[in-house]
Amino acid sequence: MPSSSNDTVAVAVTTGNAPRRGIPPLVRYLAIRLGLTALLMLGVTIVTFTLTNLVPADPVQAALGEQAAANPEIVAKFRAENGLDKPLPVQYITYLGNVLQGDLGTSTQTRQPVAEELAKAFPATIELALSAIVFSALIGIGLGLWAAMKRRKFTDQVIRVVSLIGLSWPTFWLALVVYYVFFFLLGWFPGSGRLSPAAMPPPQVTGLYTVDSLLAGQWSTFGDAVYHLILPASVLALYTIGLLTRFARSAVMEVLDMDYVKAARAKGLPKRKVVLGYVLRGALVPIITVLGLAFGSLLSGTVLVEKVYSWHGLGEYSFSAATKLDLPAIMGVGLVVGVVYIGLNFLVDVLYGVIDPRVRVS
Amino acid sequence: MKKSLRRSLGVASALTATVLFATACAGSNSPSNSGGGDGKSLVVDASFDLKTADPNRQYETTGSIVAKSLYETLLSFDGEDVTTPVDGLASYEMNADNTVMTLTMKGDSKFSDGSDVTVDDAVFSLERVQGVKGNPSFLLDGVTVAKTGDDTLTLTSAEPNPALPFILPNPALGVVNQEVVEANGGSNTESDAAEGFLNTESAGSGPYMLESFDAAAEVVFTSNPNYAGDKPAYDRVVLRNVAGPTQKLNVEKGESQVALDLNPDQVAELGSADVKVISNPSRYMIFLLMNQDPAISTVTSDPKFMEAVKNAIDYDKIVDMAGKGSVQPGGVIPSIFVGALDAKEGNARDLDAAKKALSESTYKGEKITLNFPNDITVQGLSLQSVAEAAQAQLAEAGITIELAPAPVATELDAYRDGKETIGLWYWGPDFPDPSNYLVFAPGELVGLRAGWPADGDPAVTTLADAAKAATGDARAAAYEEFQKSLNATGPFIPLLQPAQNVVTSPTVSSVITNPVWTVDLALIK
Repeated sequence: MPSSSNDTVAVAVTTGNAPRRGIPPLVRYLAIRLGLTALLMLGVTIVTFTLTNLVPADPVQAALGEQAAANPEIVAKFRAENGLDKPLPVQYITYLGNVLQGDLGTSTQTRQPVAEELAKAFPATIELALSAIVFSALIGIGLGLWAAMKRRKFTDQVIRVVSLIGLSWPTFWLALVVYYVFFFLLGWFPGSGRLSPAAMPPPQVTGLYTVDSLLAGQWSTFGDAVYHLILPASVLALYTIGLLTRFARSAVMEVLDMDYVKAARAKGLPKRKVVLGYVLRGALVPIITVLGLAFGSLLSGTVLVEKVYSWHGLGEYSFSAATKLDLPAIMGVGLVVGVVYIGLNFLVDVLYGVIDPRVRVS
Repeated sequence: MKKSLRRSLGVASALTATVLFATACAGSNSPSNSGGGDGKSLVVDASFDLKTADPNRQYETTGSIVAKSLYETLLSFDGEDVTTPVDGLASYEMNADNTVMTLTMKGDSKFSDGSDVTVDDAVFSLERVQGVKGNPSFLLDGVTVAKTGDDTLTLTSAEPNPALPFILPNPALGVVNQEVVEANGGSNTESDAAEGFLNTESAGSGPYMLESFDAAAEVVFTSNPNYAGDKPAYDRVVLRNVAGPTQKLNVEKGESQVALDLNPDQVAELGSADVKVISNPSRYMIFLLMNQDPAISTVTSDPKFMEAVKNAIDYDKIVDMAGKGSVQPGGVIPSIFVGALDAKEGNARDLDAAKKALSESTYKGEKITLNFPNDITVQGLSLQSVAEAAQAQLAEAGITIELAPAPVATELDAYRDGKETIGLWYWGPDFPDPSNYLVFAPGELVGLRAGWPADGDPAVTTLADAAKAATGDARAAAYEEFQKSLNATGPFIPLLQPAQNVVTSPTVSSVITNPVWTVDLALIK
């Protein structure tokens, strides 16, 4: 699995100490980070391939029907078509070669290219996770900041309890309860899916219905997509809100005790300027770390919410692939999640530099 | 700062207003506005096991619903009755020894592109099922298809095949438009490449055409203007992939009009809801197998131990637990097929007899493992609950069972390799004919999974052979005899047929279920 963002920061700092003449430090830094990313990706392919093939079960038995699995001719054809008749190292090299060309193999269940299926499932999850993360960032950081400013007062206590509750709900249960209350009982929000059954999906550009419908100027579809997003995104956001609130609170409290904040206050700067310009900025590095990791886990952890809301994204795809022992699909999901985690780590590291001058200088 | 805050608030308010406005516009898309027979649009929720919209390659429950809507078959069944095949695109005649079936095309059907359905299309489609070597290819194993006239074709079997008329209504044998399929890479060999095309556009003569297909999310159908039969009540049908608990809320709320996969508990909870429930015995038969291979278990291969288990199971309790519509099959053949035994003739609980048989067996109180897949349900019924019930009932007779649940993907290997001591599984018939259940005979597909070799029980084998050879009215009696002997000495214990529940909103007046294709979307009114 990819390393944590703290590890990658450490790498960035140590490798960035001795810039060579002629190569700008930023280019060098990016080159090293990209090289590391490539190595990590290779690691991800090895791990997913090995783990997937360690499962003590035969994918042929899982993919074929009763009678077909009993027919040696059909079984042999299936093995040959899916390269399962070759030794594992050969299978891996073939797989890696194909991955480098953008070919993630063919699903043994649906016989469709895994890349195509992921291209359909991934935007659905991205849309859900992005909505959830934006929602949680706004609320979570705001609440954390507020709680820290009201340290040990009643507001702080309330926010801490609320954030703990947010962290404690089991998502699968909450998803169903929210669906039951807001769709079934109150009828405020629509039911299953990303769009109403009568609505046609917008022409695909990004796969994100909200974005695509805006690009196509379909206001009604845009509204329908947003309407369908609200419940699952809120359920998904609740945990991250709790997490971010607690992280933001402790990060802000730490910064509040810093000398530069005290100095800013002593100089008589307006409170709002101190809070937004000094305190929040100083606290953003740990918050962004959590935000990056939370987004990654949202992407890979949407299985239950997607199941309840019939979202048909990456989570549901990976669940179905795992239960049906669809090896190419499982490896495809592993690879995508790996790429996202590594990409987010990279992004978080770059953002550190933007936010915190100390990181930039080192 | 204040100004920028005000500006931000202004932007946020404008965005919110835009979203609310657009949401209000979207409200008109609500399907509840289009529910009902006159609304022309129908939403059906199902738990998908869908792979493809290519009829000749599909062999799953959802795939059959899709194929049945898009393609017609040469023969069919009338409504729920699967005991008598009826004419479809053709009428049929069998010769005296059940080796040659002659089909005469009726000639009144047209494909959705307006062209006639011909005998060439029929021959091509059946040969395509055989040639592509997909999951349903076995349906026509040993059958030779030949065009014999302008509107006739024959199916010739090397051995007598009285089940053929029951096989032909299977949606996997749907007739495709040869010209269109071939123009899109199709053929009747392994090089066939038309599946991708058939997943985007249908090429059949069924009541519906494919509007869109997403194997993970939903399939949308629009009515076929050239369909020769009665026009379906709904012009557009959306078949959506929705999990069971959500299906229940959707149909109660009117968000969908039909829910196909509610489990017995969910159906029981619907008591006060304003919905209709149709509960029929399904085509699935859940059974226990006891391994006859002494190398796997000397206990389960002991006839006295098997007798004890058969007498210790409380069949009525298991059926009650499975909910309304479930029944106990008298033998391995489900109650809805020709040759089924009455439940009274099947196994029954007799605890004293069980204890007596157990005391005469080699069983010494050791733990016996019961393997089963715990991540699948049969008609919504969890095998875990059946296994737990069996464990408790066997304990009353003095048999200690250790449950060994596992994901189906891994447990299938042990089951198909014949490595389970006691297994809990289900059998879904490939076609509604009793010959489907000869796989439970010694040395056959499922028999071998129970470690029962070809010479395991010559008496059962003789009766299985007799059932296979029987024709006409003699078939039912022959299959009954086969099952009686299987109940007496075989390693299988048929436990129950779970119910097939279909729940509809009040706007739907009629849904007809069928064990082969679950539900015909075109017949929903």
